[in-house]
Amino acid sequence: MPMVFASFPYLSAILLSCLVGLLVILLVPSERKMWIKWISAVFSGLTLVLSVYLFFAYDKSVGGLQFVEKVSWIPPLGIHYFNAADGFNLPNLLLTGIVFFTGVLTMWELQHRVKEFFALYFLLVAGVFGLFMSMDLFFIFVWYDVSLFPMYLLIAVWGTTRKEYAAMKLTLYLLAGSALILPAVIYLFVNSGMNTFDIVQLMQAGTFSPFEQKFAFIFLYLGFGILAGVWPFHTWSPVGHVAAPHAVSMVHAGVLMKIGAFGVLRVAIFLCPQGWHYWAQLMAALAAIGIIYGALAGLRQTDLKYVIGYSSVSHMGIVGLGLSTLSVDGLNGAVFQMFAHGIMTALLFSSVGYIYDRTHTKAIAELGGLSRIMPVASAYFIVAALASMGIPGLANFWGELLVFIAAFRVYPFRGVVAIAALVVSALFMLRVIQQTFYGPRNEKYASLPDVSLKVGIPRIILLSVLLFFGLFPSVLVDMIETASVPFITGLAR
Amino acid sequence: MTWLVFGPELFYLAAATLFLLVSLRARPNPKREYLLALSLAAAGLLVCVAGVKLEGALFAGSYRVDLYSQVFKVMLAAGLFLVICLCAELNGVRRRHRSEFYLLLFLCTLAMMLLTSGVHFITIFLALELSSYSLYILVALRREPDMGLEAGMKYFLIGIFASAVTVFGMALLYAATGVMRIDDLVRVIFGRADNPAVIIGLLLTLCGFFFKLAVFPFHFWAPDVYQGAPNQVATYISTASKVAAIAVFLRLMLLAGDGNIYLVHILVTLAIVSMTLGNLAAIAEQDLKRLLAYSTIAHAGYVLIGVLSLNSAGYAGAVFYAMSLLVMKFSAFLVVVQVAYDGGNLRIEQLAGLHRRSPLLAMTLMVSAFSLAGIPPTIGFTGKFLVFTAAMQQGHFPLVLIAMINVVISLYYYLLVIRAAYLTEPAEGLPVLPISGPIKSLSLAMVCLMVVLGIYPYPLMELAADAVRALM
Repeated sequence: MPMVFASFPYLSAILLSCLVGLLVILLVPSERKMWIKWISAVFSGLTLVLSVYLFFAYDKSVGGLQFVEKVSWIPPLGIHYFNAADGFNLPNLLLTGIVFFTGVLTMWELQHRVKEFFALYFLLVAGVFGLFMSMDLFFIFVWYDVSLFPMYLLIAVWGTTRKEYAAMKLTLYLLAGSALILPAVIYLFVNSGMNTFDIVQLMQAGTFSPFEQKFAFIFLYLGFGILAGVWPFHTWSPVGHVAAPHAVSMVHAGVLMKIGAFGVLRVAIFLCPQGWHYWAQLMAALAAIGIIYGALAGLRQTDLKYVIGYSSVSHMGIVGLGLSTLSVDGLNGAVFQMFAHGIMTALLFSSVGYIYDRTHTKAIAELGGLSRIMPVASAYFIVAALASMGIPGLANFWGELLVFIAAFRVYPFRGVVAIAALVVSALFMLRVIQQTFYGPRNEKYASLPDVSLKVGIPRIILLSVLLFFGLFPSVLVDMIETASVPFITGLAR
Repeated sequence: MTWLVFGPELFYLAAATLFLLVSLRARPNPKREYLLALSLAAAGLLVCVAGVKLEGALFAGSYRVDLYSQVFKVMLAAGLFLVICLCAELNGVRRRHRSEFYLLLFLCTLAMMLLTSGVHFITIFLALELSSYSLYILVALRREPDMGLEAGMKYFLIGIFASAVTVFGMALLYAATGVMRIDDLVRVIFGRADNPAVIIGLLLTLCGFFFKLAVFPFHFWAPDVYQGAPNQVATYISTASKVAAIAVFLRLMLLAGDGNIYLVHILVTLAIVSMTLGNLAAIAEQDLKRLLAYSTIAHAGYVLIGVLSLNSAGYAGAVFYAMSLLVMKFSAFLVVVQVAYDGGNLRIEQLAGLHRRSPLLAMTLMVSAFSLAGIPPTIGFTGKFLVFTAAMQQGHFPLVLIAMINVVISLYYYLLVIRAAYLTEPAEGLPVLPISGPIKSLSLAMVCLMVVLGIYPYPLMELAADAVRALM
């Protein structure tokens, strides 16, 4: 098959800026810490610019796959280097670009083994970008593991609380996910009889028998679900997020968990729609339990990062609930929630990062009254926490609203329960805000400086994104609909 | 010019003879011997590469030269060359034994080359014994005589037992069919593959190669031998010797036809037990060479997955797996040899602070560990992917699932190794490792090979597929 390039290969350019950035970082001597940081900022900024450009250059009136790049990679097995953008992955690419860039800025004060950190960080993000843009099953699997490859060292070397345990647990859990995914992927490849890993070709109706779809779906769902933090396979996530360094927590909770949900959508739901219908009840049940469990567990935490970790479990449950509704609104809400939650969690971890770097504690009991010591730093956290409660005007509100409307229609009982859980999650976020930022101030930290404008840049970016999509949700919803509406109507036929 | 097709073998025979003469000198000169061995191994590699396209049959059809055998000969020659690259500081072997060491290495490589081409039971058996006996002595050449002798003795006793079983299997096959050449056997057996004598005969014949590959239940020797042998010999056993075993294994599997249900069941069981046992045992291991030995047992299980698929995709996968084993096992041992430059054994905690003592070696170790575990984008993943795909074509879903779970288990101990190299700080007094320029470029080349061939394995896959086509 000849090469196909629709236009300038923007998608590959994103990947290349990660990989070239990685190589350049490797070539700089490790003493030149500022050089490395500037190089990281430039290359990650480049990916951000490219992903923003793609987001707005995508022609919504046409829809479908755009910016297609297709090169035959391993012909005997029908493996293609096949990248494309559609309404499902563009929000996620934008999210990755934003979190990547702001993550680099958040780590600006890093002094310990700087070169290795940014090299591994770039490798991690390259895997994430690759997975979101790939339309080839083989490459999706490869990118999944590329993003897993550097996690162990990133957490174990630069992390904090129980870092080695957390790093090992996280790596093995995620690899266990891939142990379920790979057999299912090969199973689909072999049974399709088409000798191709191309998702678009494999999606044709009638390729897989109902049994094959049901069988493969459950493996793919559980495999990717581990990464998405689906209850009861979520236990790696709070532990891992707490232990990881700030930027890695941002990427991990913000983006990597989305990979799991996105994998369920792109691979499991796309290729096995009948399996999707068959297992939807189970998905909804696990998602609802996850929402409640995350909220209740979050209520009891004493560590700021654990609170965010468990709220992630709860919020990813909302994504899962949206995916299980088998409807356009549900898919829209799920993808919207992926995006909004990614930005919101990144903001939370970034703010906690600033506070932790100054106070060297994440224990809620030791903080207190911070809003009088560092009002701006507190404000970032509080706004993100409000977003996580689903306050209108911030992006998360729309994602949750769409999911709950869809869930009400399909699963009235589980929908009500999930909304009740939201009240709990509001309760625990408010509790954290009250205990950390209000009340009597801890004199030990009274002399600490507030966030300067320069240091605050990453948080300002994240905050404005939250506000922008909170006020103009249609920008995002219209984008997602170009993919979700044709997909759902295609199934009905 | 029929002798021309025998060129690579003649070259190695001449090299071995040369070292036999050198070993007679009263005053050895290790430096010169090393350079001689290195240049001979490099020339041998060139000869083998030049001879890739050779085809022909020798010795009344008992010796077959085709693309399949020639590809394996190139791998063996490359394995020998790489191992000799690590022999600049041969501190694990006494000075006066060095020339015998090279003599035996070349002789063993010659024997393995004969193995890859042998299509008659007598040829196969003679070559198998020649290579095994060379290895028994090589293992015993260790500087500390008690260690080497113990390992050599263990290797020898289990080895001759496996050989005896193999001969018995061959005899059974001969009794059942009356022929001893593989192509004749395939013809005679055709349609009678479920004859008990044939199944048992074939299975027993394979035992000799189970032993070489360290497949359960012939795996006991591996950890002790790796631990007791000089590091370079352990490198050779875990690379070249495995490659040769895979070569004969695939040739013998031609006898299984394309649907021998009993044999497949037995091989599935052996594969599962080997993988699981190797990986579980490796978790508790503190000695890096023993850990690699257990991982070898696990890898033998993965190779079996390709073999038991009994289709050309599976065989090509196994050939590719042999290539990948050569590259990644060698890279891991390169680190062992360099860090334990005094020729001793290497415990995992001795890797502490490797990322400071030598960032390059630490990276080599990390990439080879991920490759051995089978994480993309490395060559180890591609090998696993190919054999899994072939097995899935035969409907072995549970087997593939178990194999993937084993990958997860194996990552645990590989991560412990990586942890030691990257996380723990060196105890006081551990100096920066003195690594020569050639070794630096060699390890960089191995890292590039593992990653590049992981990202773009297509040329190598084609080569493996072509080789298998010549075999079938």
